[in-house]
Amino acid sequence: MNGKPKIGVYVCHCGTNIAGTVNVEEVRDFAASLPDVVVARNYSYMCSDPGQALITEDIKNYGLNRVVVASCSPRMHEPTFRKTLESGGLNPFYLEMANIREQCSWVHEDPIAATEKAKRLLEAAVVKARNLEALEQKEVDVEPSCLIIGGGIAGIQAALDIADAGFKVYLVEKSPTIGGHMAQLDKTFPTLDCSACILTPKMVDVANHPNIELMTYSQVEEITGYIGNFNVKVRKKARFVDMDKCTGCGDCAEACRLAGRIPNEFDEGIGMRGAIYLPFPQAVPAKYTIDKENCLFLAKGKCGETPKCQEVCQAGAINFEQQDEIVEFKVGTIIVATGYDVFDARKKPEYGYGIYDNVLTALEFERLVNASGPTGGKIVMLERGKKKKKKEEEAEAPKVPKSITFIQCVGSRDKSVGNEYCSRVCCMYTAKLAHLVKDKIPDCEVTIFYMDVRAFGKGFEEFYDRVRREGVRYIRGNPSEIFRRGDKLVVKAEDTLTATPLEHETDMVVLSVGLVPRSDNREIIDILKLSQSSDLFYLEAHPKLRPVDTASDGIFLAGVCQGPKDIPDAVAQAKGAASAAMIPMAKGKVKVEAQTSVVNEETCRGCGFCVELCPFTAIELVEVNRQGWPVKVARVNEALCKGCGACVAACLSGSIQQRSFKDNQLLPQIKVLGVK
Amino acid sequence: MVDVSKLRETAREIISREDVRELIGYRAGTYGFRARPAFVYDPGEVDQLIFNPACVNNLATYITLEEKLPVPRGQEPDLRKVAVMVKGCDSRALVQQMAENAYERDRILVIGIPCTGVVDMDKVQARFPDVLGPGEISLEGDKFVLIFDGRREEIPKEELLADKCKRCRFPTPLVYDVLLDEEVAPFATDDYSDVEALESRSQDEKWAYWEEKFSRCIRCYSCRNVCPMCYCNDCILDRLRPQWIRRSVDISENTAFHIARAYHLAGRCIQCGECQRVCPVEIPLMELNRKLYKDVEELYDFEPGVKVDAPPLLSSYRPDDPEDFIL
Ligand SMILES: Cc1cc2nc3c(=O)[nH]c(=O)nc-3n(C[C@H](O)[C@H](O)[C@H](O)COP(=O)(O)OP(=O)(O)OC[C@H]3O[C@@H](n4cnc5c(N)ncnc54)[C@H](O)[C@@H]3O)c2cc1C
Repeated sequence: MNGKPKIGVYVCHCGTNIAGTVNVEEVRDFAASLPDVVVARNYSYMCSDPGQALITEDIKNYGLNRVVVASCSPRMHEPTFRKTLESGGLNPFYLEMANIREQCSWVHEDPIAATEKAKRLLEAAVVKARNLEALEQKEVDVEPSCLIIGGGIAGIQAALDIADAGFKVYLVEKSPTIGGHMAQLDKTFPTLDCSACILTPKMVDVANHPNIELMTYSQVEEITGYIGNFNVKVRKKARFVDMDKCTGCGDCAEACRLAGRIPNEFDEGIGMRGAIYLPFPQAVPAKYTIDKENCLFLAKGKCGETPKCQEVCQAGAINFEQQDEIVEFKVGTIIVATGYDVFDARKKPEYGYGIYDNVLTALEFERLVNASGPTGGKIVMLERGKKKKKKEEEAEAPKVPKSITFIQCVGSRDKSVGNEYCSRVCCMYTAKLAHLVKDKIPDCEVTIFYMDVRAFGKGFEEFYDRVRREGVRYIRGNPSEIFRRGDKLVVKAEDTLTATPLEHETDMVVLSVGLVPRSDNREIIDILKLSQSSDLFYLEAHPKLRPVDTASDGIFLAGVCQGPKDIPDAVAQAKGAASAAMIPMAKGKVKVEAQTSVVNEETCRGCGFCVELCPFTAIELVEVNRQGWPVKVARVNEALCKGCGACVAACLSGSIQQRSFKDNQLLPQIKVLGVK
Repeated sequence: MVDVSKLRETAREIISREDVRELIGYRAGTYGFRARPAFVYDPGEVDQLIFNPACVNNLATYITLEEKLPVPRGQEPDLRKVAVMVKGCDSRALVQQMAENAYERDRILVIGIPCTGVVDMDKVQARFPDVLGPGEISLEGDKFVLIFDGRREEIPKEELLADKCKRCRFPTPLVYDVLLDEEVAPFATDDYSDVEALESRSQDEKWAYWEEKFSRCIRCYSCRNVCPMCYCNDCILDRLRPQWIRRSVDISENTAFHIARAYHLAGRCIQCGECQRVCPVEIPLMELNRKLYKDVEELYDFEPGVKVDAPPLLSSYRPDDPEDFIL
């Protein structure tokens, strides 16, 4: 540092956010009285242009070499004020913030005590600022490629945008086909576009795009590195079908001894498939996959004389010897678009899902109304678990339901199952499905039990109105139970608008299940060290201003993995994530964390605790010469270090310090804040 | 019991080896029954070596304690092995030191002593206070035999045995290159009843108890210096910038010192008991160490210095680590 500290202190009112509780003038006067403070001001919005100009002017006029801003959380405006310092010609790390909003005015009511606390927080910032050091922010090159995890509509859209911009995309999808949940839907609210018609062209574009390397039936195993330079390891699971040879003719699936005997996941178990299968006709890639858990040959070692599929495949594509393949590549950025699961309706046993054949989830119902679904789009009563009759003619024609009842908010807005949030799509998809019923079976009686109808989006209210006009009956009430009476299902509820208890007889019940975080989310969390919000969806860096970013630089979120949303929102977010990911790729360089750890190699005893603990594998042991002796000491790779401080806390000999959080910077703060 | 002539013969062979620089063992002390560490550099010095129940010191300490003086220009550092004699309990210190990368396994040569228990010198002293001339202790069956001033006394093992030996689960060393005797089967278990007794007291009682103990501390740092796990080149307790603990001897700084010492050993203390043994003012340091030892075992199912190659507790993390104690 050049000479004595000259500190400027700026107390922000944040409108009334801070000034409504804290006496900002008093805090300013207090600041002015502290040693080394040469100017102290208060201002309504420090983050505004004139607010920032106060700082740059003072740097010039008073020769400030340290700046303290007492305002909101540094998570909010630290980057803003660092830029201010920079434009005033000061190293940006000579800034210290005192959080007198989130940690003071917002959480206290007594103005006198809050003002006292604000003074303490400010003094702590001032004493730390005295010992701040200038730091250098280094730059690293960015690999011009992006990994996208999850090939639902969000992943597909992000992949297409980035690939179209000229960057390489690796799209990794866990299941045998891309498309995600959108591929399962029939029509889409509120415009009633056919889901497949708008989705499948995009799926084909992905497959054909020269800049996209599509890896289906694949899983990310490991990711190391940092923004600009991630090293990715992907496991391509063995499909037992040679992708280059398979023509997608489907002879194998017809020949399979188990054809029509295994519940098809894509049809939510309503339709059946064989052990070798294509999830649905428009799947991308249009290549077959053998499910090794069920395949007689792979699971039991025997499938008649020779496996049927092998026998009929003219391309010779079946290969039972195929092994999982590990591929490794480098990317500069990552987009997570892993989507969601639907709520498991068995967790609400009072609704009898899993007990009564004709209590369905909405996703099952989507397959039932879908023209390419197992019934060809005919809405019929289900007989689950019954063996298929040998000859089709012998089977009586399936019955058509005369009344269908929907129940909304199953697994959403329900503390009893731990989901407090609204799933945002169920009101509208229920209206959509009700409309489709009316369209296909005009005399079918359709009833919807709801708590509130949330028709908040573009065209939603209009659509809701239209459906009501079609004769769909909305009853406000949350059913307590479903039971069977004769060949009818009875929904027991209370119409809360008229306060009448009622028992509603119906043929079929559709549960409008909510969207929940995927049960396998942990995999990606562990690999990428993502955080979760309280609803357990992935957490964005800031709920308003950084909705597609994560806390880790270069890793972005798109689609429902970040929180429930409909297709338009998922697509919009995907486009946002794509453009966010393209910024560092287009620039070609990124700045890396400057507040990294440093090892004192003189005192480090090389125990390696920090090496094991570092979540970013940024530390390694290296051999150095200490007065003629070869000794091991820890060394930090500054490009990898994120400044989390885990190593600092673990070091028994106190040999690691984190820049801007060094002992001589923190201890004076503790002294100020400690009990006096 | 270890045969002394075999011990010396083995030592002679070892110190004669080209790749061994030094051998650390035991020799008779200058008065009474005591034994003390011996540092042998030459085959001619091996005849002073002994092993008997008076050999209480944990010699593992000396491996990390040794100061590495600057190597004069033009010379190579002496990287030959150090041979060290260890009992079962002491060997755990080696295991833990190596887990912490204090040195590589091939830097040491371990002479293992299967141990049937050592005496508590304070108990011996209390019993025979005025023995100044040379005395000898050996273990015969379940009796310690003490020979001094032409007398021979037999005392039941229980009465003189060190407390740590009464709950010893590892009488045979866990690492060694040579073993001086047949393995000794574990003869005791540890039920932590002493720790539980401490835990069952009220907070006020505990505070009063430790306040009295810590107020005695003269901050000689013997406990730190003798500890085989305290071997940072530059101990934070000695630092002036920042000065974590002031030099003054008072209850506040003493308490801070003892808490820091105990916490730096959490998940690392291997219960050799040396700290308590050397404390001149009889602070029961092992009660603190054992409380943390028990917590670590209960919370993380971890025991330091037991498994060769197991990563140290503080460097391992699992997402499901218990954290109920975090407020
Ligand atoms: C019954 C129902 C009806 C709906 N109807 C409509 C409607 O009419 N209109 C509308 O706008 N919205 C509707 N939605 C909402 C719509 O489904 C979602 O908005 C949309 O599908 C979200 O797409 P996504 O890409 O975020 O997630 P998903 O569609 O879930 O896609 C995620 C993809 O990621 C893959 N994946 C997951 N984990 C991994 C991993 N670890 N590695 C690799 N790949 C992985 C999955 O296999 C999947 O392919 C409906 C939802 C339901 C439940």
